[in-house]
Amino acid sequence: MQPDDLSRILAPKLGENLLVVEPFDGMAGRVRFRREGALELFRIVRDELTFTHLSMVGGIDWVDHREVFYVAWSDSVRQYVLLSTDVPATDAHLESATPVWPSANWHERETWELVDVTFDHHPDLRHLLTPDGYVFHPLLRSFKLHEPEELEVKSRHV
Amino acid sequence: MSEMWINMGPQHPMTHGLWNLRVRIDGELILDADPEMGYLHRGIEKISEDRHYNEVVTLMDRCCYVAGLAWEHLYVLASEKALHITPPERAEYIRMMCDEFQRIGSHIMWYAAFVQDIGLMSPFLYGMRDRDLVLDLFQSFSGARLTYEYMRVGGVRNDLPPTFTGHARKILDWLEQRFREYDQLCLGSAIFHKRCDNLGVLKANDCVTHGITGPMLRSAGVKRDLRKDRPYARYDAVDFDVAVADGADVTGRYLVRMEEMRQSIRILRQVVDWLEQHPGPVMADQLPRWLGAPYAPVGREGYLLKRNYAKGVGFSSVEEPHGEAQAYVVNEGSEHPYRVKFRSPVFANLAAVRQYLVGYRVADIPPILGSVDVCVGEVDR
Repeated sequence: MQPDDLSRILAPKLGENLLVVEPFDGMAGRVRFRREGALELFRIVRDELTFTHLSMVGGIDWVDHREVFYVAWSDSVRQYVLLSTDVPATDAHLESATPVWPSANWHERETWELVDVTFDHHPDLRHLLTPDGYVFHPLLRSFKLHEPEELEVKSRHV
Repeated sequence: MSEMWINMGPQHPMTHGLWNLRVRIDGELILDADPEMGYLHRGIEKISEDRHYNEVVTLMDRCCYVAGLAWEHLYVLASEKALHITPPERAEYIRMMCDEFQRIGSHIMWYAAFVQDIGLMSPFLYGMRDRDLVLDLFQSFSGARLTYEYMRVGGVRNDLPPTFTGHARKILDWLEQRFREYDQLCLGSAIFHKRCDNLGVLKANDCVTHGITGPMLRSAGVKRDLRKDRPYARYDAVDFDVAVADGADVTGRYLVRMEEMRQSIRILRQVVDWLEQHPGPVMADQLPRWLGAPYAPVGREGYLLKRNYAKGVGFSSVEEPHGEAQAYVVNEGSEHPYRVKFRSPVFANLAAVRQYLVGYRVADIPPILGSVDVCVGEVDR
């Protein structure tokens, strides 16, 4: 599958929510989309483009905005696809992919706690790798490793 | 009986690492399960942002402490794409050799721990003894037995010693015999079948929905292996079969792993022959000096050369012993990666723990989770 094949199916259905489909080394393509069309895009990518297996969700902090990316695999074309969207840093939230791909659950929890992007309608948005009550988001560029941090951590079991 | 939540972990012989499995039980019946992770979270992705590209390799060994070389391979593949570097062919074969020996080492480690969980004591000792042979081999070319720091962006640190091929062939012959004994000890034991058959069943559809990969997926009959489907290094040049089973249960996962080790031996024989006949460079030339240094970064002078570098994004995926690992490296033109993201196969396999645990008994938890092959280092990162 080539980027052109992806955009031929995605463009008519998503309209302006699809920004661009670019070539990406080792993948079927990189689909850039607006966050308003997230769930619709996920459904089409899973059902019509057969990318049934969501492998990874991650976030990147670009200081003024944050990028959320998804990697999905299709068993029938044996390829990956990369979906990516930008959310503004001041209003970083996005629809959760869990209704479409249940495997997004933990990946979104991790992205939420480390990169500070909230996933709306996520069934279980709790801390996963950091303790409950941890107020920092370590993967933001503003979180410096060299400065001492002061915090009080609550026990998970209380 | 009344329902209650119990904690299995963070220190429990079943966990094989530092994590906590909370299960809701009614008598002996498991009604719900909720893993608690994070006890081993070291922030490897964050630390990587402050490190030189080759320094991150050091962290990869700590990421998965039973399959360090596979994770190094994953990371250097993604970094090479992000930095637009092509490694020499011999380095790719050496990396394949590392991957496959690492797969054997990791699966033997899994075998030893798993059979101990289900009550067979002596295979544990046999397993640990045979894994040591693989570690001896790693020590002969990398100098370390657990944290190898052997691969580099652009190749590998040093070439193999002249004794390598003889040493490797001896180990392969020995292991091939031992695997027959492993099977006799387990598959010939009534205890093994009583404890493992039809346990922790997760069918192919559920595996795909919940993002499960590796031996767990292949035990459900799905013939999916990145070495075949999306060959990296030179896996397209070697001949092997993908191990599958059809039980989707604990026994199936055992059969898949044992067959994978036999296939690894088959791959290794071809790779060792190739390495014997094709000497050559093991490091790409034309590297910027700060990256091409064979050992550590070269200091201030090297760092001054940094700015004239093309930006790029690299993605790689590797069939690691536990499943499908992925790396995403963003290069913004400095000597540090801007962002590194890893996908751990065990992370996804554990996230679905509710799917293959609910409905079984408390005493079934050790064999089921043993068959998942948990490595907490790569889940928490």
